[in-house]
Amino acid sequence: MNTFNRNILSAAVSAAILSLGGLAQAEDTIKIAVAGPITGPVAQYGDMQMSGARMAVEQINAKGGVNGKKLEAVLMDDVCEPKQAVAIANQIVNQKIKYVVGHLCSGSTQPASTLYEEEGILMITPAATSPAITQQGYKMVFRTIGTDDQQGPTAGRYIATQVKPKQLAIIHDKQQYGEGIAKEVEKTVKAAGIKPVLFEGINKGQTDFSALITKMKKEGVDFVYYGGYHPELGLLLRQSKEQGFDAKYMGPEGVGNKDISAIAGPASEGLLVTLPADFSADPANADLVKAFKDQKQDPSGPFVMPAYAGVQIITDAIKGAKTEDAVKLAEYIRKNSFQTPIGKVAFRDNGDLKAFEFVIFEWHADATKTPVKE
Amino acid sequence: MSDFSILEFIQQIINGLTLGSIYALIAIGYTMVYGIIGMINFAHGEIYMIGAYVGVLVITVLGLVGVDSIPLILLATLAMSILVTGSYGWTVERLAYRPLRGSPRLVPLISAIGVSIFLQNYVQLGQGARDVSMQPVLTGGWRFGPEGGFQVYLSYMQVLIAAITVAFMAGLTLFISRSRMGRACRACSEDRGMANLLGIDTDRVISLTFVLGATLAAVAGVLVSMYYGLVNPFIGFIAGLKAFTAAVLGGIGSIPGAMLGGVVLGLAESFASAYLQTEYKDVVAFALLILVLLVRPTGLLGRPDVEKV
Repeated sequence: MNTFNRNILSAAVSAAILSLGGLAQAEDTIKIAVAGPITGPVAQYGDMQMSGARMAVEQINAKGGVNGKKLEAVLMDDVCEPKQAVAIANQIVNQKIKYVVGHLCSGSTQPASTLYEEEGILMITPAATSPAITQQGYKMVFRTIGTDDQQGPTAGRYIATQVKPKQLAIIHDKQQYGEGIAKEVEKTVKAAGIKPVLFEGINKGQTDFSALITKMKKEGVDFVYYGGYHPELGLLLRQSKEQGFDAKYMGPEGVGNKDISAIAGPASEGLLVTLPADFSADPANADLVKAFKDQKQDPSGPFVMPAYAGVQIITDAIKGAKTEDAVKLAEYIRKNSFQTPIGKVAFRDNGDLKAFEFVIFEWHADATKTPVKE
Repeated sequence: MSDFSILEFIQQIINGLTLGSIYALIAIGYTMVYGIIGMINFAHGEIYMIGAYVGVLVITVLGLVGVDSIPLILLATLAMSILVTGSYGWTVERLAYRPLRGSPRLVPLISAIGVSIFLQNYVQLGQGARDVSMQPVLTGGWRFGPEGGFQVYLSYMQVLIAAITVAFMAGLTLFISRSRMGRACRACSEDRGMANLLGIDTDRVISLTFVLGATLAAVAGVLVSMYYGLVNPFIGFIAGLKAFTAAVLGGIGSIPGAMLGGVVLGLAESFASAYLQTEYKDVVAFALLILVLLVRPTGLLGRPDVEKV
C-alpha cells in the first residue's frame, strides 16, 4: 500500500471517528473542514494545503486550543472537480461544520463558495486565484493567496520588460484558472506593445502536443506562456525538447511542483514560474519550518503557509470576536488584521488580501527553484 | 498565420500518423468485438490503460535492474503487457459478458460500462490516483531540412510506433485470413448460430476475440507509455472514446476500416491543430465523423459484404 492509500484510509478513518466523536462531545471541539484534492491529477497541491492546515491545528491544540476547545480538521476530497466540490460542500453543510479552509482549484472553489455563502459558512481558500471568486459580492468568502490579476501582470511585466520575446505564444488549458491567467498575461503584454502570435487552448488531459509544437516552431516562437497545471505542461515541455523546439516556457503557480520535473525531466530546466514568495525562507517562520521538517514535511510548497494562515485566521477571529458565529467572524475578519506565517494580513471588502506578492522563480531539472532577479 | 510551408506540412503528417497508429491499435479491439457479438465493449479503453501501466512498471523495473538494451526492454515489456492485459481481456469477457449472452443488447452494454468504472477505480486504489511518469527510454531521431530554418523531425520512437503498429496489424490480418481460428472468427462474424451448428466452439472464438483485442490495446499502451511517459487511471476514457470514434469512422466491424479510421482521425486532429486553432481539433474530428456517417452510414469501409471480425 502506498502513502496515498494510507492517506485516504486515515482520512476516512479520522472522518469516521470524528463523526462518532462529534456526537459525544459536540460542545468541546471546533471543526474546520479542509477541502481540496486528496486524489486526482493535482493531489500534490492538496498535500500542501492539508499539511499546512494540519500543522496549524496541531500547534493551536498544543497551545490549549481555542477558548478551551480543541480544533478538529476534517479532510474532504473534492478531486478538483466542480461537481465533487458541490457534493463536498453539501456534506459540510449537513455535518454542521461552520468553517472551511479550501477549496484549492478555482473551478471547484467557485460553485462551492455559493453554497457556503447561502448557508453562512466561513470559507478561506489558500490556493484558488481566479478573480471571479471574490467578484460575486459574497460576505463569507476570503482568500489567503493572491489573484490571477496580480499574478498575470507580474508574469506579463516580466515578459515585456526583461524577456522581450520576438514571437510570444500563450497557451492555456481552457479551465477557469488556466484561461483566466492566460488572458491576464495577454492583457499585460498587449498593453506593453507585444502582440502574441498564438493564443490557443489545449484540452485538459491531452497527451499529444506535437501538432501544436510544430506550429509554434514554424512561427518561430521563442517564448511560451502556459496557463494551467503541471501534467499538461510537463508533456508539452518534454515533447518540445524532443522535437527540437527550444523556446523558453513560463507558467503560473499551478505548474510549480516537483512533478513537473518528474514528467519533463531535463526539459524542466529553466522553466519560469510565478509563485507566492517562499514563506519558508522568511526568518520569522524558522520555528514553524523546523516543526514541518521534524515531521518530515516540506514547508516550501506555495499553499502550505497560506493554508496554515487560513486556519490561524479563523481561530484568531474566534478568540478576538469572542463568538463562534461564522457570520460575525466574517465581519470581524474583514475589519481586523492578523499576524500569520504569510505576514501581516488584512482583507479588502471583497475578501481578497490587501497585498500579496508573486515572485518569479526559475525551475531546475532536479525540482529545485531559485528566485529570478527582476 | 504566415505562409504555408511544405516542411511543416510533412511534420504534421508525421505527427498525425503517429497519433493515428495508436488510435488504430485501440480501435481494432472495438471493431473485432462488435464484428462478432454486435456489442460495444466500453471497457476496452480501460484494458488499454492497464496495458500502459504494465508498460511503465516493467520498464521502470528493468531500468532498476540495469537492463539498457532497447530491443530487450521492448520485447520484455510487450510480452509482459500482452500477457497481463490479455488475461484481463479474457477475464472481463468471462465474468461480465458471457453470463449475459442471449440477454437484450442493452444489458451487456451496461455491464461493459460497469466494468470500465470498476477497472478505473481498481487501478486507482492499487496504483494511486496520481500521474505515474517515466523518463523516455528511446530518444533521438533524424532531422531534415535547412540548417537554422524549420527542420522536419522524425524521432526513432515515431518510427518504432509506426513499425510495430504495421507489424501487429499485418500479423492480425494474416491470422484472420489464413489460420484455422481466424476462419472460425470469420464464420462467427458472419453467422454465429450457424457457426455453432457446424461445430465451431463460438465461446472460445469470442474469448479469443477479446484476447486479441486486448493484445493490440496492450501494444498501444506500451507504445504510449514509452512515447509520452505519463499514465494515470483515467487515460483509458479519452483514448477509448477516440478509438471508438475511429472504429465507427472506418466502419465498425471492419478491421481495415479501424486502421484507416485511426489514421484519418489522427491526421484530422493534427491538421486542425496546425491550420486552425488547437481548441478546434476535437470539433473537427467529430464533425468529420458526423459528415462521414451522413454520406456513408456504414463508415468509410463498412460494407455489409466486407470481411468483418
